[in-house]
Amino acid sequence: MHWNGKDSAVFQAQKEFIDTAVIPLTLIDGSEHGFQFAASAADFTLSLGNVIENQFKGRIVLFPSFSYTSNQDKLTLFENWKEEINKAEFKHIFFITSDREWNTMGEEQNVIWIPSVPLESMDQKMRNSILEDQLRQLVPIFAKKWAN
Amino acid sequence: MSNNKVSRRQFLSYTLTGVGGFMAAGMLMPMVRFAVDPVLQKSAGGDFVLTDKKVADITEVPERVDFTFEQVDAWYKSDVTNTAWVYKEGDEIIALSPVCKHLGCTVNWEGDPAHKNQFFCPCHAGRYEKTGKNVPKTPPLGPLDQYEVRVNDGLLEIGKAIPNTLV
Repeated sequence: MHWNGKDSAVFQAQKEFIDTAVIPLTLIDGSEHGFQFAASAADFTLSLGNVIENQFKGRIVLFPSFSYTSNQDKLTLFENWKEEINKAEFKHIFFITSDREWNTMGEEQNVIWIPSVPLESMDQKMRNSILEDQLRQLVPIFAKKWAN
Repeated sequence: MSNNKVSRRQFLSYTLTGVGGFMAAGMLMPMVRFAVDPVLQKSAGGDFVLTDKKVADITEVPERVDFTFEQVDAWYKSDVTNTAWVYKEGDEIIALSPVCKHLGCTVNWEGDPAHKNQFFCPCHAGRYEKTGKNVPKTPPLGPLDQYEVRVNDGLLEIGKAIPNTLV
């Protein structure tokens, strides 16, 4: 499900089935050397989010990305998001990101770190196959959490 | 020579008939064009999307075939890629939609090792038989949709989704 009016109505009605929130974490970097890399990584993370949504449409809600700058207190923001989303009674919350800084958070916080692939240099077909490959690696991670 | 002379009256009436005829035609032509417009529309064959799948390569095992078409959403044009599970049943080509009838996840062929020869939805363990028939006691309440298919020069073309005709 997407974060929009139509899908959220389905979510409200089918809460017992739609029990997982997926939130992309994207870094906003305005500096000269980081701008392009951050933009490319965000593109990758958001595209991957859409592919995940397409696969697991009936079980997840894909939220708009949680964007932050490098000097913000990420952990507090992170906890705020979790707290707010828990109000909607999600059983599972996954964060997906390509920002290396979250790498250390590890699995117990449900932050899935995926190294970014520069999609901008590829044609549509290549993009799709790269994203499908990444998705295939993510499916067992989701399945494992859901099984518990 | 003098017999062929056109009188002033005749000249005026010819001229008026000619000009009047042009005016009448100018008004009638658009009306006629509107009236026959449905006949001139392009045939519905444009709904089919050509895939790069050779028909000769299709087997009895369902296989993923992607097809891309341009979608216009108000002013925003985008390429949408859809997927179909394609297999042969005898000589007939079957293309099933991968969209689970429960809540719209994507189903996979033999996605669950415990259930061979079935489509599996990883979201809530919904299952479908090869024909797309939903397995009772799993969440889906209806069979998978089917796509219209046709063959163009040895390549598979996929049309619009229709209700399952196999079950």
